[in-house]
This record gives sequence, C-alpha cells and structure tokens, in this order.
Amino acid sequence: MNEYVIDANGMEEKELNRTIKEQAKQHDKLIIDNPDSKHNICAGLTEDVEIEINGSAGYFVGTMAHRPRIHITGNAGWFAGDNMTEGELVIEGTAGDGAGQGIYGGTVIVKGNVGSRTGEIMKGGTVIIGGNSGFMTGLLMMGGKLIILGDVTEDVGESIMRGTIFVLGNVKSLGKNAVMGETTSEDQKELQEILTEYGFKLDETDYANFKKIVNMQ
Amino acid sequence: MCGIAGVIYKDKKTHPVGEALTSMLESLQHRGPDSAGYAIYGSLDFPENYYQLNIEVKRRRGALDNLKSLLNQISPIFEEQLIESVGDSDVYKCKIALDEFSLLKPCINEIDDLENVRVINGSHSFEMIKDTGKVKDIAERFDVSSRMGTHGIGHTRFATESGVDRYHAHPYQSYIIPDITVVHNGQITNYWKIRDPLERKGHTFESFNDTECIVHYMADKLDQGYKLEEALDQAVIDLDGPFSILVGTPNGIGIAKDKLGLRPGVMVETDEIFAVASEEMALHDVTDSDEIEQIAPGETRAYTI
Repeated sequence: MNEYVIDANGMEEKELNRTIKEQAKQHDKLIIDNPDSKHNICAGLTEDVEIEINGSAGYFVGTMAHRPRIHITGNAGWFAGDNMTEGELVIEGTAGDGAGQGIYGGTVIVKGNVGSRTGEIMKGGTVIIGGNSGFMTGLLMMGGKLIILGDVTEDVGESIMRGTIFVLGNVKSLGKNAVMGETTSEDQKELQEILTEYGFKLDETDYANFKKIVNMQ
Repeated sequence: MCGIAGVIYKDKKTHPVGEALTSMLESLQHRGPDSAGYAIYGSLDFPENYYQLNIEVKRRRGALDNLKSLLNQISPIFEEQLIESVGDSDVYKCKIALDEFSLLKPCINEIDDLENVRVINGSHSFEMIKDTGKVKDIAERFDVSSRMGTHGIGHTRFATESGVDRYHAHPYQSYIIPDITVVHNGQITNYWKIRDPLERKGHTFESFNDTECIVHYMADKLDQGYKLEEALDQAVIDLDGPFSILVGTPNGIGIAKDKLGLRPGVMVETDEIFAVASEEMALHDVTDSDEIEQIAPGETRAYTI
C-alpha cells in the first residue's frame, strides 16, 4: 500500500487540509499524526483514500466528505461527519454533539458515547453509536438509519419525518412525531449484517431487543 | 463563540496554574480574539483582610498620583506594580489592608469616582488578570506563567455585547461574597428577569453585560447557603438562553450548561485533576487522558477542594 505520513503538529487547519488533499491524490493511505483535536480535518475530501488519524479530531471532522474512509483512534468534537455523502468515518472513542449530522450517505460509526442531537437532519446513510446518545437523538431526521447500542435520553426522534432509529438500550422519552415499536425479522437481519460488518459483537438474542422508532404516520 | 477553561488540582497543593490555563486558552484562541482573562486561586498568600487591587489607569498627567493619594487615605500601600499595557492605559496593581471584606466594594466605588482610573477588581485569595488582545500577549505582559495556584478559570472572548475593553474581558467578579468569579460562553436571554430581583435586594450592577448578571446571581445563591453544585443546578432552571457557565470560588470550580446544550463543554477527571473546557484540545494541555466526557444539556459538574 502506498502510504504517506503527515505530522500535523504546528500546522494550521487550512495547511493540514491542503496537504491532505494534495497527498490523497497520490497515495492509498494517509496517516495523520498529532492531530491535536484540530477542527475540520478532511473537510470536503473527495478522494477514495484511507485516512488514519492518530489521536483526536475537533469539530466537523470529515464534513462534506465524499468517498474517503476515515479512522480516528481517539475522540471527535461536535458534528463529526457532517453532511457526508459517501465513505466511512470510524471513531474509536467518543464524539460530541451532532455526530452524523445531515449525512446524505456513507457510514458514521462512534464506538463510545456521543453528545446530543446525534444524526439530526440526516437524509440518508447510516450512523452507528456503540455507547449512549443524548438529548434529541435523531432530531428532524429525514432518512437513513440511526443505530444506538446504548441508552438514549430525552426526546428521541423529535420531529422525525423519515428514516429509522434503532435503540438497543433504554429510551428515556420520545420526541413529538415519533413512535416506538418492535423490529421485524428483516430489520433484525439487516442490523446483524451492518453491525457484524463493523465489528460489533452482539448476542443473537440482542437483535430481537432493538426498539424501532419512526415517524408516527 | 468564546472559549472557557478551568482546572483544579485535587491534592490542594499549588501548581503552575497560570501556565496550565495559558496553554488551554491558547488552544481556544480561535474561539475568541478580543480579550482574555484568568482567575488564579491560591496564588495570593495574603494575611486576613489584605486585598489586591487591579486598577486601570489612563496615561494622563496626575492620574496615578491622585490614585495613590486616595489609596493612602484608605490604607497603606504594601506592594505596588505598574504594568504597561495596550491602548491609552496601564494596570496598577497594589496590596492594601481593610478592616473587613464589606469595606472592599465601597473602597472600589470610591476609587472609581476618581477621573481616569477604573478598578478592574479587588480580591483576597485569587489573582485576576485580564486584558484586551491575544492570550499569548496577555500572558507575557502579566507574566502569567509564573503564577502558581490550586485552581483557576480562564476565558477567551468573542464579544457579542458590551464593549471590547479590559473591564468587559472575563472573568467577572461579584462582591456579594468574597472572591467569586465567572467566565461564560453564551447569551442570557432573560437578563432583566434575573437582574431585577437582584437589584431589588440591593445588589449593584456596573454594566449591562450578562456575565456580570450571572456572577451576581451565583454569588447571591451561595450567599443564601446554596452549595456550588446546588447553585449551578438552580442556574440551569432560572437562566434562559444558550450558555456554558464556569464558576470559580476560593475552594472550587463548577460548570453549568443550558437546558438545550447549545454551547459546548467537555471535561476530564483523573486522580490528579478535574478540568473543563469548551473543546477537547484544551483538555489535552493538562492531561494525557483520552477519557473525555461531554457535558450534557442542563448538566452541571463541580469539584471542590
């Protein structure tokens, strides 16, 4: 594999993103060391490239990305994967508010807990949260799948229009426009396929325990 | 936007808090370019009833002499330093003695009546440093890195209301109780609803800045006997608008986030420290831990020593 290492230490955000975009055209994989929670890393990146971020990223990591497969070994700030259209964003740690906000396609995975308004205004794609998710998860959701393996707090699916939220843990309360029901066998099969693909190991019985939250119409 | 940061060391010993907060605030510089400030607790080892005054003095003939003349009528000046700053004024720092804390605010009011001077703050157990400009410049100007302390809070300001000057830089302080400070990221939308009852109780306001309103609100609650955590919980109920509030007291720091969680706040707690900030990058200036916690909407967190 054709790899290139970028040491982000001391780099301004624009300089880092410019370097990422230049090198992504010439390499299969970029390794970014010392990201120091910088904001907007990989913003608008459209190359079919693997990105390894060694550490934590700040706000809007992978915003408007199309095709790259981004892996973050640490945490991410607010709005991880915002408006992504295609590709993958995998965060090993935790993320702040608005993870997967507004995505049209692709997959955003956060292995740990996330803040509030996860998957708000998402139109397509898949968001998977390995831990808990906060206030107004799936706010104004318009499409796609939002899968939470932990608990969710108040007002899940607030003003949801389309799309589906699956929750394995406890649901504190539903938002307006949202109803909660049971999953179908097809849902369970699809959940198993998606979660297995991304390395989540659940018991067979867990898949029947997911709750399904959709628009009340 | 504004950036907020705070750190407290659990062993109650003094640490280079000035250096730690400077690193954190430099990481948050992008959140506010207008001014920056610190409240560093445990940095002044003053005998009882001794106070440090920070006073803005315009470079006008006789201004400093008149100030010192008045100060000498109030108390002997035990230590003094004139720190050159930006604009048309400098900061005069001095140590005085008063019979009791209740005389501090009247003393400040008397000094404020002089022409060409304005008291930035008066404190017993913490040092307030705040000025316009970038964190790095302010830290160098006031030699912040040399300040040791047990804990502290800091701020980088992106002004959305009130003037951009030294006085309106955060932290803000209240004199309802000794040595309480607040830094804040956000806007309080029911400002007058909070201010009116405080004024009717006799508390005085020096500006229309919402952060000043918050510090009086918090001081009033603590004065009523609320613990820091309880006062923060009540603030979440009473205050409207988007906010992350960080409070400093002589023995602790605490943060509250608005009910909708519209302003950021993250924290980390290890065996050694409890730290909070607007963004994760600032926490990595004081810890290697990756166990970063998101502060939830309406959540409050505090640590006291």
